[in-house]
Amino acid sequence: MIRGVDVGLAACHTCELVVNLGGSRDGAEATCPRCHARVRFRKARAGTHVTALLIAAVALYLPANALTMMYTEEFPMRRADTILSGVKFLWQQGSPGLAVIVFAASILVPLLKLAALGFLVVTAKRHSGWRPRTRTKLYRVLEVIGYWSMLDVFVVSLLTAVVQLGRFAHIAPGPAVLPFAGVVVLTMLASASFDARTLWDRGSA
Amino acid sequence: MNDSRFEDLPVPVVRKRKRGWPSAVWIVPILAIAAASALAIRAYLQRGPTIQITFETADGLEVGKSDVRYKNLPVGTISNIELADDERTIIATVKLDRGAAKLAVTDSRFWVERPRVGVGGVSGLGTLLSGAYIGVDHGASKDKADHFKGLEKPPGIMHDQVGRRFRIDAIDAGSLSVHTPVYLRRQQVGAISALELSPDGTRVAIEVFIDSPYDRVVTDTTVFWNTSGLDIAIDATGLRLNTQSLASVVAGGIAFGTRPGDPPGRPVAENTKFPLFDDRAHAMARPDPSQLPLKMRFHQPLRGIGLGAQIDFEGVRVGQIDAMNLGYDAAAHGFYTDVDATVYPERLGAAYAALVEEGQRRGKTGPEMLQSLVARGLRAQLRSGNFLTGQFFIALTWFPDQRSKEVGADHPGVWVVPTERGGTDQIQDQVESIVAKIDKIPFDAIGNDTRDTMRAATSLLGHVDRDVVPSAQQLVGQAGAAMLAVREAVGALRDNVAAPDSAIQQTTRSTLEQLENAARSLRGLADYLQHHPESILRGRASGAEPKGSP
Repeated sequence: MIRGVDVGLAACHTCELVVNLGGSRDGAEATCPRCHARVRFRKARAGTHVTALLIAAVALYLPANALTMMYTEEFPMRRADTILSGVKFLWQQGSPGLAVIVFAASILVPLLKLAALGFLVVTAKRHSGWRPRTRTKLYRVLEVIGYWSMLDVFVVSLLTAVVQLGRFAHIAPGPAVLPFAGVVVLTMLASASFDARTLWDRGSA
Repeated sequence: MNDSRFEDLPVPVVRKRKRGWPSAVWIVPILAIAAASALAIRAYLQRGPTIQITFETADGLEVGKSDVRYKNLPVGTISNIELADDERTIIATVKLDRGAAKLAVTDSRFWVERPRVGVGGVSGLGTLLSGAYIGVDHGASKDKADHFKGLEKPPGIMHDQVGRRFRIDAIDAGSLSVHTPVYLRRQQVGAISALELSPDGTRVAIEVFIDSPYDRVVTDTTVFWNTSGLDIAIDATGLRLNTQSLASVVAGGIAFGTRPGDPPGRPVAENTKFPLFDDRAHAMARPDPSQLPLKMRFHQPLRGIGLGAQIDFEGVRVGQIDAMNLGYDAAAHGFYTDVDATVYPERLGAAYAALVEEGQRRGKTGPEMLQSLVARGLRAQLRSGNFLTGQFFIALTWFPDQRSKEVGADHPGVWVVPTERGGTDQIQDQVESIVAKIDKIPFDAIGNDTRDTMRAATSLLGHVDRDVVPSAQQLVGQAGAAMLAVREAVGALRDNVAAPDSAIQQTTRSTLEQLENAARSLRGLADYLQHHPESILRGRASGAEPKGSP
């Protein structure tokens, strides 16, 4: 199987124009003749980008789960829930379905995303030849489910806006909302800056 | 390895590459880690201490739901409740907020606030809806602690209340309990903060807390008394009702004050001990410095006399009865009652001082003085105090007829006063004598006399019938004739005066006619003058006849 890089061809990342990079592979800066975007064989330092964003996401993942996500004041109850305690509360209150959804969207998916991206970055860096097709599929799944893990932030934003019944019921966002949103955004950026083509670069290249 | 097949593909503009800086993307993880660390540090700094409180019961407490409140401000939450190792209490693990860390000191007190309904009021109503919570009273200590023994009831006095504590020693707490108010001049100035039975169970130790500034009113002359319930006194002055407030009637209370006439006294230190008097009367009574044990033997039943019955001397209540024992006199084959009493001679006031002085002057001891009083006729006698209630008292009084009687010397240290029959016996005797007198009344003879009188009256009436009535009839006949004569005289008079042709009638009629004529001419004159007023000056114009009335 011949790769573009093997014959000096590259597609512009912006306008998809295939250009002949020729011998200017190293040390030079090539610009797309049509849209003036940078043209590279692979996304520039993709591995570094993804690694940096992943580290940032992991760093924010901890406070996002440890801190309070939502303050609920529903007379006479007053609760301060982290994501996990909210899931537990939902489960105990007899909404196991809802609990599972929240658990999956808010805890499992971000965690899997971080792990999967990390796995992809490491294998790409090592030019592993292990099942490039499966790994590419995994990457596509990550891309698709990426924005669904914003669920918690959406819920809190909506409830905060809707449930403002004065002393009777009152919901306020907790300090965990920002780090959580950060995790979601950073993982999305990381998966976007990942270059799936690197999955196909064998060790020889 | 450039393939000639791709020669016609577009060729990018290639420029010389600029300097190779490390990628700017590393700023992102650095910022993220910094933010996460900041959040972690903040969370760590905000984390207060975790303390454990043991309670008898977890009633109303719920993990995550019940909070800890200081002055009703949430300062922490219950993170766990578990059974203690001894399985007798529960341990509530409480996470205190950072700002509330200083509440966790050794003498802070924790209790579970639940709805409570008492006579003194209702508290914790809010917990009906919000559920129970743990209340905190901030201790004054600086020493940190993380294990506490929770109170089952809110403490009576909070640490931040200004005032002082005093101890009250009571034999009977009555209806007093923690929170029972303490009154000064019927105003609540404090409350009972603690109340516990002494270990041997003989007394009750009460701790009262008097709010500032009234704690300064408590001095060494202050007396405390129990105002619980209704203090109804029936005595010679009538019926008196003493209460502090309606709440104290039901829930009890303690009042304090100074005996009238006592100086304000010197301030006392905190935790000074005071006795608790049963009621105001006892509290206000001056303590009697000296007591004399008195013994009396009564040869009559002492019905209506109880322990505490008063002993009266010349109208002064000088003591009370402490014990009564029924005895049997084998020699006399009779029963008697030995009465032990206590007399407070100071209550005699100046009289006692004079007696003591006289005794000293004559070199006589107390018993000898009593002996001399007995020799002058001093005796104890049972007397009725109140016919309505049937109460009796013992009066020390004088029987000058019975002078010589030895004071029994068989009770060393005890003053013995001989007794005289009285009281019920006396009344009984009087009633008996009245009955005897009634007995002596000769009802038979009185009946005979009455019969004789009736008989005489009957004969008198017969005499009236026989002699008086006929002459009366004769008298009535004469009176009838007299009336006839009077009627004739009146008839003659009427004939003379009232007949139409009698002389008086005729004379009267002609007089009236003349009067009528005179009146008519007067009227004619008046009319003429009205029309011709000048005629008064000029005389009557000729031909102008005054017009007479028709």
